[in-house]
Amino acid sequence: MKKKNGFKRIIIAALVTAVAITVGMSAYRSLAGDSVPYDTYNYDYWNTIVLTPAPYVPDGAVKGVDIGTTDFKEPQDLCVADNGEVYVADTGNNRIVVLDKSMKKVIRTIDSFKRDGADDRFSAPYGVCLSEAGQLYVADSNNARIVVLTPEGEFVKIVDNPQSEILDDNFSFIPLKVTVDYADRVYVIGKNAFEGILVFESDGQFTGYFGTIDVKISPWEKFWRRLASKEERSNQQLYIPTEFTGIDVDSEGFIYASNIDSDGIQAVRRLNPQGKDVIQKGENGNVGGDVKFSQYGDYGGASQITDVVYRDKGVYSLLDRKRGRIFTYDKEGNLLYIFGGLGTQEGTFTTPVAIEVSGDELLVLDAGRNSIIKFKAANYGQLINEAVALRYDGDETLAIEKWSEVLRLNENNELANNGIGKAYLTAGDNKTAMQYFKRAKNRKYYSVAFKRYRNELLAENMNWIMTGVIVLIIGLVAFSKWRRKKTGKKKEESLL
Amino acid sequence: MMKKYFSKDKWSYAFYTVSHPVDAYYEIRHRERGSVPIAIVLVMLFAFSFSINRMAASFIVNDVNPRSVNSFKELLAVLMLYFLLCVSNWSITCLMEGEGRLKDIAIALGYAMTPMIFCYTIGTIFSQFVAQDEGAFYTMIIGVGIAYSAFMMLVGIMTVHNFTLAKTLVTLFLTLVALLIIIFVMLLLVDLLNQVYSFFHSIYQELIFRG
Repeated sequence: MKKKNGFKRIIIAALVTAVAITVGMSAYRSLAGDSVPYDTYNYDYWNTIVLTPAPYVPDGAVKGVDIGTTDFKEPQDLCVADNGEVYVADTGNNRIVVLDKSMKKVIRTIDSFKRDGADDRFSAPYGVCLSEAGQLYVADSNNARIVVLTPEGEFVKIVDNPQSEILDDNFSFIPLKVTVDYADRVYVIGKNAFEGILVFESDGQFTGYFGTIDVKISPWEKFWRRLASKEERSNQQLYIPTEFTGIDVDSEGFIYASNIDSDGIQAVRRLNPQGKDVIQKGENGNVGGDVKFSQYGDYGGASQITDVVYRDKGVYSLLDRKRGRIFTYDKEGNLLYIFGGLGTQEGTFTTPVAIEVSGDELLVLDAGRNSIIKFKAANYGQLINEAVALRYDGDETLAIEKWSEVLRLNENNELANNGIGKAYLTAGDNKTAMQYFKRAKNRKYYSVAFKRYRNELLAENMNWIMTGVIVLIIGLVAFSKWRRKKTGKKKEESLL
Repeated sequence: MMKKYFSKDKWSYAFYTVSHPVDAYYEIRHRERGSVPIAIVLVMLFAFSFSINRMAASFIVNDVNPRSVNSFKELLAVLMLYFLLCVSNWSITCLMEGEGRLKDIAIALGYAMTPMIFCYTIGTIFSQFVAQDEGAFYTMIIGVGIAYSAFMMLVGIMTVHNFTLAKTLVTLFLTLVALLIIIFVMLLLVDLLNQVYSFFHSIYQELIFRG
């Protein structure tokens, strides 16, 4: 009887364990419900990598055959119209493909246009852009021209053949990427145009270079160049600035241009109308993608930012072709979140070339897989986006709700801690503010909160403190008198 | 044994050294008032207060990532440096007619740690109560500690060996050179031992694979 009982017990125990394990497993599964085929992380105050919840999750891929046309062939650029239509520069097929808003079917393909009564075709159209007036600008690279069409594909004009004394005699105009600002000025990234972005007025007149990247020569290189003879110097490689890789324009008419920075410090510039860089860098002074990376190997080296997209409310995203990551910064240059990766799973890239935003979704064009990969914001990313937008508009108090939601998902988020800390500071709760600023490693605001808190404490306890000081003084005086008396007596004794 | 090295008198003499360095170091050399074990304990205490400072000083004044602090490694490094300094100083001053024995050098350097121990500990506590613009006070506390310790080391070496200031400075420079030479020779030795080991290891492997 006893034995049977023991056997029963064992069976029950086994059952309970099995149930517990399955429940536990399913709980684990559901926790990892937004599991994604790439790393999602950010850098903390000390630039150490901290994993975060997924800000964006893959939302399918769009291939040419799925939407009623032939497959793309090495597409290089895409652009989203105000009405949500997506224009893809299908470079290898010499055509522009226009997708509807849901990206489920092709509306039209533009591979030729009527110009002065004759048919004209693209040759490797590399970049595509829509102006505010709704005209379609195509960087027709092998034909050395920018073709301007109506969205329907009717010919409007051609911008080509830049003429200026600042251009080299053997300069060849090969436009790669193009963007247009509110005044219909055309900004073009040309192949081998190291001097900067080519700017054309709305009438097609070339006005000059824009946003030149200064060459950086280290003192050490300067020293060696000084030692070298003229002949040696001519044999050395030239110090040429890096080329721009991607370009976008924000709502104020400022140009965002990405470039490849081999040091990984600044890979994007925000150029004002004079062509001066006015980008804001965050606490760590870095807007160059990955802050920490291995120096060696195929997977090592600084991020190679190939495109930039201005999103909304000062937020912009960079696309890295080295490790397939997407870095998102706010207006102040704070890294908001990082996601994306190279690979063959759905939601990863082989050769990412262009990034664009369509509503709440991010679209990445993969020239290796000939497809557009869509990402939709997960809860975490959505909350950060909303909080940053509210802060950009000046609604810090409204942003608090969002930030505290963010903290529930990731209590290490320094921006969220900062935001909440500021709210407590303005509300006068200095002690709580101190805790949040400490977590956010914000020296400046922690100091402000701390000083206020210290003053508060002093003011509240002034009576006690002053009483204590007076009692202490009286006590000390009495003690020293008593001691002197005692030692005096001793001395007398010893004298006797 | 314990009484001899850790008596109350010896401990209080370590503090007396802080307030009267010149006299105290003279007595340490000639009247056996110091204790090597206490010196080593002080060095270890310094290593601890140093690590604690790096770990626990407020983030307002502290640029160190606490995750990167390994107090055990730092203890070993400090002790290592201490012994190397003692040995290299001894080997140089022996040749330069210094009167100090290895024991005296060890005590001179070890006792000189006291100001740093105090200032690092006080600084760590004080840093919890500063705002950003008051960080200068913290830096000052640490700076005073380091400066006074350096002064005590200098005076200690000078008195123990009965050197002039100029000669002390020269020997200190030579001490650093000797330190580097010792490190270099040790690295050579380690490399050699490694090669010997790998030689025998490969013979062993060969035997195993063939047999």
